[in-house]
Amino acid sequence: MVDAIKNTRVYTTWGTKNAKPVQPKVAAKTISKAKRPLMVVGADLLKNKEVLDRAVTIAKTAGIPVAATGHSIKELVDKGVSAKYINIHSLGLYLCDPNWEGLDGNGCYDMAIILGHKKYYINQVLSGLKNFTNLKTISIDKHYLQNATMSFGNLSDEKHLEALDELIENL
Amino acid sequence: MSNVTTGKFSIEDLENVQVTIENIVGAIEEVEETEEEMGVTPKPGISSLRHWDFNLLNRYEPIYTPMCDQCCYCTFGKCDLSGNKEGACGIDMKAHQAREFLLRVITGASAHTGHGRHLLHHLIEKYGRDHPIDVGSSNLKTPVMQTVTGYKPETLGDLEKALDYVEEQITQLLATIHMGQEGEAIDFESKALHGGMLDHVGMEISDIAQISCLKMPKSDPESPLAEIGMGCIDSSKPMLLTIGHNVSGVTNIIDYIDEQGLSDDIEIAGLCCTAIDMTRYNTDEGDEPKSKVIGSLAKELKMIRSGVPDVIVVDEQCVRADILREAQRLSIPVISTNDKIMYGLKDRSNDNVDEILGDLESGNEPGALILDFDKLGELAPRLAMDMAPIREEKGIKSLPTSEELQELTERCVHCKECELVCPTNLSISDAMSAAESGDFAPFEELHDKCVACGRCEQVCPKDIPVLNVIEKSAQRVIREEKGKLRSGRGQVSDPEIREEGVNLVLGTTPGIIALVGCSNYPEGTKDLYRIADEMLKRNYIVVVSGCSAMDLGMYRNEDGNTLYEEYPGKFIKGNLLNVGSCVSNSHITGTAIKVASIFAQRNVTGNFEEIADYILNRIGAVGVAWGAYSQKASSIATGCNRFGIPVIIGPHGSKYRRALIGKPYDKDKWTVYDARNGEELQIPPSPEFLLSTVESVEELMPMLAKNCMRPSDNNMGRMIKLTNYIELSEKYLGVMPEDWYQFVRTETDLPLTKRGDLLKKLESEHGWEIDWKKKKIISGPSMKFDVSSQPTNVKRLCKEA
Repeated sequence: MVDAIKNTRVYTTWGTKNAKPVQPKVAAKTISKAKRPLMVVGADLLKNKEVLDRAVTIAKTAGIPVAATGHSIKELVDKGVSAKYINIHSLGLYLCDPNWEGLDGNGCYDMAIILGHKKYYINQVLSGLKNFTNLKTISIDKHYLQNATMSFGNLSDEKHLEALDELIENL
Repeated sequence: MSNVTTGKFSIEDLENVQVTIENIVGAIEEVEETEEEMGVTPKPGISSLRHWDFNLLNRYEPIYTPMCDQCCYCTFGKCDLSGNKEGACGIDMKAHQAREFLLRVITGASAHTGHGRHLLHHLIEKYGRDHPIDVGSSNLKTPVMQTVTGYKPETLGDLEKALDYVEEQITQLLATIHMGQEGEAIDFESKALHGGMLDHVGMEISDIAQISCLKMPKSDPESPLAEIGMGCIDSSKPMLLTIGHNVSGVTNIIDYIDEQGLSDDIEIAGLCCTAIDMTRYNTDEGDEPKSKVIGSLAKELKMIRSGVPDVIVVDEQCVRADILREAQRLSIPVISTNDKIMYGLKDRSNDNVDEILGDLESGNEPGALILDFDKLGELAPRLAMDMAPIREEKGIKSLPTSEELQELTERCVHCKECELVCPTNLSISDAMSAAESGDFAPFEELHDKCVACGRCEQVCPKDIPVLNVIEKSAQRVIREEKGKLRSGRGQVSDPEIREEGVNLVLGTTPGIIALVGCSNYPEGTKDLYRIADEMLKRNYIVVVSGCSAMDLGMYRNEDGNTLYEEYPGKFIKGNLLNVGSCVSNSHITGTAIKVASIFAQRNVTGNFEEIADYILNRIGAVGVAWGAYSQKASSIATGCNRFGIPVIIGPHGSKYRRALIGKPYDKDKWTVYDARNGEELQIPPSPEFLLSTVESVEELMPMLAKNCMRPSDNNMGRMIKLTNYIELSEKYLGVMPEDWYQFVRTETDLPLTKRGDLLKKLESEHGWEIDWKKKKIISGPSMKFDVSSQPTNVKRLCKEA
């Protein structure tokens, strides 16, 4: 039998490089291995308290600093998360700069974990990171983000919460 | 060839001789040049202002966010450019993205300039080349044109040479898009800035010409109020709907209706900027507008599908490509009036009006191309009057009945394909479920966020007309959509600048917030109202135009007033000004130029760099294109950027592929020269960007205040601006901004009510030395405050240079 699909390179409308769909357990392991991860949390997180709670748990459990974009910062800080406000587009530029010292002055990051964003918006920011940096990006949002390195698929609200819970269990 | 140079000569004895005068040269131009000193770059070419652009781009770095990883411009490709790879022609991803951005900018500039050329042809034909430019009580009548080209036009005919210049430059820029031309991103960026600047000249020509000829308000702060909203349409009358941006043909329709005494018998209303300019037409002496405004592009499909229009007249720009198909389904004839949009319709410009009426009323033809505006003026109203009873008799059905709505919502299988393709991923599926059980609230909320693109319908496996479902479900709120729009006032006048210029430069008026652009909002239209209301209460001058001006008028305060009724329209702090339609955006850069000219006595004529440098360092103005979607929005923003005005766009603006953002942590980038002696001065990181996006309105608010700070602020000005920045950050983000101290030069810059606490923070958190007896800062600030310093980014403007 001929293997007619071996080494197939899928070209889409957008290009050649798309996010690898990732299961929660694998995402958790990958996050755990990062030396200097940054969790990038957007204001859409505030639309769903359940997701907000899980974001807080992830940040605290794994001890990951948080870049709070949009107007997400107050809820995160109030829940004891180490978060700093930054505009997401500016963050996208700074992450391309090896001389940036990071939000805490300890240097640039090797991984960005994405949660709580408008799909169309964060996908553009990730496009810049995909094309101009070696930063690994993992989206654990409810939408598949093609420009991340790895991403959850398109999930219902219920499945998304289950996926986040499974990720937390495996951190 | 005659040797005649100047003076009078007679040609009365000549017969059958055609004299063609291509250009009047010599004496007239010499007079212009001797009247006022000409700056260093009149009519700049592509490379003339490159030095200024590189200056800007050194601080504000391009960040590229590609929409697509490939290039498909030539037959070498497709080329995979991902990871900044080079394609077959040698271009890399960065340069390609910069080229893509340039293409958007010159597309927008061409749209405005093409509009200007069309309008000018029409107005010169109707009013003559010698018709005077009349914009109201200003000597500086065309600030943008004068700054860029050095021209000071007095008549309609004079505008043509500036237009010639813009058209030539746009052609040269378009040529650089071609494969095998420019190869470096930074030079594509410079070209994009050039294109943006040209756009503002093109826009200014368009608006100045129509203000001068069409009796539009001339710097009138009390220009009349017009009705706006789908709810203000009287559907019992025959309705004539206009769509587009070019009002020239529509004025003939309004005139005909007026002359025939049909004003009470026909409802005439418009979508997009034609609608705004219709309300400006013939109102310069205080007359009421003769038409109504429905809204922006986001209302186009909704209005057509309501079935209310009896005739649709389209001109150019922001007109949906499927208008004819949509209209045909509801037996609404479409009249195309501009060669930019002809929809394959037959050209009936030379036919008899009665014959055309016959063909359209019988349905033999779905519409007609009419380029003769006199004919259009008669045809469109008569057609509306005739079509109304015909369509009623036919029983044209538009939106579903309540029973059909129930059936449609039950048909939904909740596959969520619609949500995946929706530009804002709206929760259509949940709203369908709610509507199925009789709860229309989710659809009512969704209606305002929906931009009515119709992509949901294209993918629905059950062929549900999703848009019709939304519109039917939201009938209650649509009926309540009734607001007021202050019709466009045109320029800010010279006397207004004399009164307010000093406050702007010293910062005691905290800034100008210009709300411009289209309707692709992230969370609905009300955010615009929130932005304007907040900034007006804080004494900013809020300037609006185009779709933003329209959507702002849709909301009322607790007293039932719109912001246009609540706030006066002068150019002073705490006022709300609608300058007009899309092409009126040139008055925003024009205002900043006027401050440099009238308040600071800078020579503007052909002197772009010095004027832009002045604006960048001294005028706290920020543009906001919250719902930007069009190429025109990118060219308007880019023109503002070259003039030194930063622009913030909503999250959809990330799809323009590039932003210009500074790095506050790179201190070397935040210096200027003191023009008195050439010494370098540290400045605060503001404006922090020239073009950036933000995620939410809450994030936007403090960002507006922060980016109005300028090196020239005096202590009072800086204190006011810093107070607003801190308060807005605390109000909308819930935290004190981390970088507030970077804007402090002396203790008198600190907000008065918080001065003690902030001095403590400066000492404990930032290590500044404080004299507590005198409550003075001894050391710490990286910036010195000197009220007489003259910040500039241009070395040649320094005395020692």
